[in-house]
Amino acid sequence: MADLKISALHKYYGSVHAVRGIDLQIPEGEFTVLVGQSGCGKSTLLRTIAGLEECDQGSIEIGGKMVQHLPPRDRDIAMVFQNYALYPYMNVFDNIAFGLRSRKTPRDQIEPKVKYAANMLGIQHLLDRYPRQLSGGQLQRVAIGRAIVRNARLYLFDEPLSNLDAQLRDEMRGEIKRLHRDLGKTMIYVTHDQIEAMTMADRIVLLRDGAIEQAGAPLELFERPATKYVAGFLGSPSMNFLPGRLTGQGGTLAVRLEDGTVLALPAARAQKLGNRRDEAVILGLRPEHLNRAQPGDSRTGLARHTATIELLQPTGSRTYATFTLGGSSVVAELQAHDVTQMNQKIELSIDMNRAVLIDPGTENVL
Amino acid sequence: MERGSAGLGAPFLSVLSLRDISGATHLMQSRGAFAERNFKYLLVGPAIFVLLLIGIFPLVYLLMVSFQGITMTETSTDFVGARNYAQLFHDARMWEALLHTVIFTAIALPVELVLGLAMAQLFLERLPGRQIFVALLVLPVVVSPIVSGATWALLFDHRFGPINQIIGWFTGDTTAILWSINPKLVYPAIIAAEIWQWTPFMFLLLLAALANVDKSQLEAAAIDGAGWWRTFFRIVLPAIWPVMAIAILIRGLDLFRLFDIVWALTKGGPGTMTETISIFTYVKGFQQFETSYTAAVAFLVIILLSVVVMLALKRVELAR
Amino acid sequence: MSYPARDPARSTGTQGKALSKPSEGREMSSLRRRTATRQAIRFAAAVAITLIFVFPIYWLFMISFKTPDEIYSFPPKWYPGQIHFENYAVLFKDGDAITVWNSLVVAGVSTFIAMFLGTICAYSLARFRTGGEYLANWIISQRMIPPIAVVFPIFLLFVWLHLVDTYIGVIILYTAFNLPYVIWMMRGYILDIPKALEESALVDGCSRWQVIWKVVFPMCRAGLFATAIFTFVFAWNDFLFALVLTRTEATTYTVQITHYFGGQSNFWAKISAMSVLGTLPIFIAVAFMQRYLVRGMSLGAVKG
Repeated sequence: MADLKISALHKYYGSVHAVRGIDLQIPEGEFTVLVGQSGCGKSTLLRTIAGLEECDQGSIEIGGKMVQHLPPRDRDIAMVFQNYALYPYMNVFDNIAFGLRSRKTPRDQIEPKVKYAANMLGIQHLLDRYPRQLSGGQLQRVAIGRAIVRNARLYLFDEPLSNLDAQLRDEMRGEIKRLHRDLGKTMIYVTHDQIEAMTMADRIVLLRDGAIEQAGAPLELFERPATKYVAGFLGSPSMNFLPGRLTGQGGTLAVRLEDGTVLALPAARAQKLGNRRDEAVILGLRPEHLNRAQPGDSRTGLARHTATIELLQPTGSRTYATFTLGGSSVVAELQAHDVTQMNQKIELSIDMNRAVLIDPGTENVL
Repeated sequence: MERGSAGLGAPFLSVLSLRDISGATHLMQSRGAFAERNFKYLLVGPAIFVLLLIGIFPLVYLLMVSFQGITMTETSTDFVGARNYAQLFHDARMWEALLHTVIFTAIALPVELVLGLAMAQLFLERLPGRQIFVALLVLPVVVSPIVSGATWALLFDHRFGPINQIIGWFTGDTTAILWSINPKLVYPAIIAAEIWQWTPFMFLLLLAALANVDKSQLEAAAIDGAGWWRTFFRIVLPAIWPVMAIAILIRGLDLFRLFDIVWALTKGGPGTMTETISIFTYVKGFQQFETSYTAAVAFLVIILLSVVVMLALKRVELAR
Repeated sequence: MSYPARDPARSTGTQGKALSKPSEGREMSSLRRRTATRQAIRFAAAVAITLIFVFPIYWLFMISFKTPDEIYSFPPKWYPGQIHFENYAVLFKDGDAITVWNSLVVAGVSTFIAMFLGTICAYSLARFRTGGEYLANWIISQRMIPPIAVVFPIFLLFVWLHLVDTYIGVIILYTAFNLPYVIWMMRGYILDIPKALEESALVDGCSRWQVIWKVVFPMCRAGLFATAIFTFVFAWNDFLFALVLTRTEATTYTVQITHYFGGQSNFWAKISAMSVLGTLPIFIAVAFMQRYLVRGMSLGAVKG
């Protein structure tokens, strides 16, 4: 049974169509991440679900109940804001208890609930401190504590980790994921960081210009993207795109790049594509699918290419090497010891099994 | 910005009918969070209501009465056309009052501005005890203009005022200048009181504005070799112009409405020499009871001021 | 005079001349000396200017403590021989001091009402953009209305409503006249509050009214106080409206002062004493919100 159901949702800001006809169903207990570039409408969508923005068309159902005309307080939701939104004139205890008090929870129930939530987040020793005395990570935990103490049906997170430094962010990601596992509530999480999306989501909803570009499990979007946008959005460094043309070669299909290089496609792929010779196509290759050729590697579907490395970006365990292929700059993810110098020549094997072919006109994946 | 649920209507209702509606959900269009539509009007309602009392009512009333013929003796409310306005244009005393007002403004405003700017510049850099100085300098501003006028009348007093005493030190013999009577000196006297009271206003505003000037711009200018004057006129003044404009606007308007200080010092005298337009209006209305004529004058003042304000606001907006 | 207030040892000196190298000790100390002299001159100038501006106030206060004989003596003594409170006692005895009380009631109540109505109106303007630009501009333009133009029809209206010389009448008028200022200033303060705090409260279960009480008012507490004090001062110091709308019952202290101006001579003792009575409370009040002084006076244009 879907816990959150959005149908044909539209929202306008003046003449800007911020949310275009979103249909979304989220099962109970799932952790859904709304991800996309700035301005894609993910925050707007979240705030509309919360009731902080009015929806112009469509409906929102939470737990089977229509809520699009209800004020936020009646939607049985809790929200964690990007800037924590803690009341500076109240201590941590009062901040967390605020929602309980607003809903007239009996006084004897408030303290145990607050303490329980604080324990869960490891901030029980900060209960009588004030926000100005806390660090960023602690503030974020208090904000989360305020949300979970209310035992709402749906939890909304609006880019909660954007204001934290990288290390803290890594830590908090795990914390939130753990929280989800322990509480088992339905959570919707908005972020622009695709790494957060990939690591935390049960399901990713990638938004673009107010509409859903693709929705599904993280690996599904990663390995089987529906459009060029999805393919290029997920994965770091992002996928390389090489324009070219399909040609016949020895009975199978191959991709001919602009500089003449021909890369053969594995038979299985060629079969699926059918008869599409001479069609313009964009070849998508992920950096991790470009490896140093191993002698004696007999797997099928690997194309070979000798490349001259133009740029090196070592990160310790891996090195990102940039070279030119098919007239474009391409990045490969190699082992640190594969390449050590610029202008080095190296033989690469390209995993064409994993390559993505994109129709340049529609930008859909073939 | 406020595109509401107008786009709903038929499509929404048809979708709605497919659902299990418990409770009158479809009637809640104007309830819940979206009662903010009514809520926000409820919030401004009382304030607007009170404002209309002094905003609209007097205007309407003045307009009406100014076209009637009510005077001290004549109480009929018949319309007499634009007679009062015609009379207004020929009233030398009114034009003089206007002139006096303009003179006060034209002299006091620049002096306050320059003096305030100089003082702000002086206090800008670190100074021991600056807080105390500033706190003391605020005092003239918060005193009532009546008290200010009374104080200066006291200072100027020809019998025991310290100003005459100080002048006596310079000239060698005792002086007893009747500042508030001597036609040649009433203007300086009033202007002195006015400048005393309001220069600190300029000072405080300009001090804050100067403190907010982007330091890196000044440093770049210093490196480029710009001297003090050049830096001041080319960089600092443009940077503080928005604040200066506001200050000029506020003070300019207040000067136009000058009443209290003049009343305390001279009551518009001697004769009508220092009569400002506000005093003129007051005299006509509350001493001579020329009701309709006063209404015409008052209405004219409002129009004049509105025009000036609108022009000024446009300049300020452009400057931003 | 260099602009950025920096360590004199690193200053670029006057007229933007090049800085001398720190290794040149002798030139360095003469630079320091020049700057020290400049500092001294600046300090002296500051003291002189402050004295000039404070002197009239000092004189006023001082006069109020002199006996009438001392006041009218010539040459005037610049300090009272002894501190006499007679002048004040007279005011209380004659019952004139009641005008200070009138001022307090009238200014206080009107401030309270204006702050309440004005702040909730400001909230609506700030968060919901009610009435858009037109309403906001109309409201601030109301502050620009010359009192003299308005006081006349208001007077006639009050005569008709039997409100002349009553507390209520003056309170209504002061409230109406101060509302634009309150709305304008509080709108600015409310806009400074992050919206997320209010939204969080909404999600947590507050109604819109509760959000205003529980979140907005506490958050802009400082702005509330500052604006309230300014509003109070405006009402307290007013003269023209009080002159027109009061007679004997609701006279405020400003009008009372002018009663002491005679045709031939002025009762300086009473004038100064009453002035001090009316001014001292303001000095104390203003001392409490030094921080918001510039912002309050400049209509929010300068967040000094």
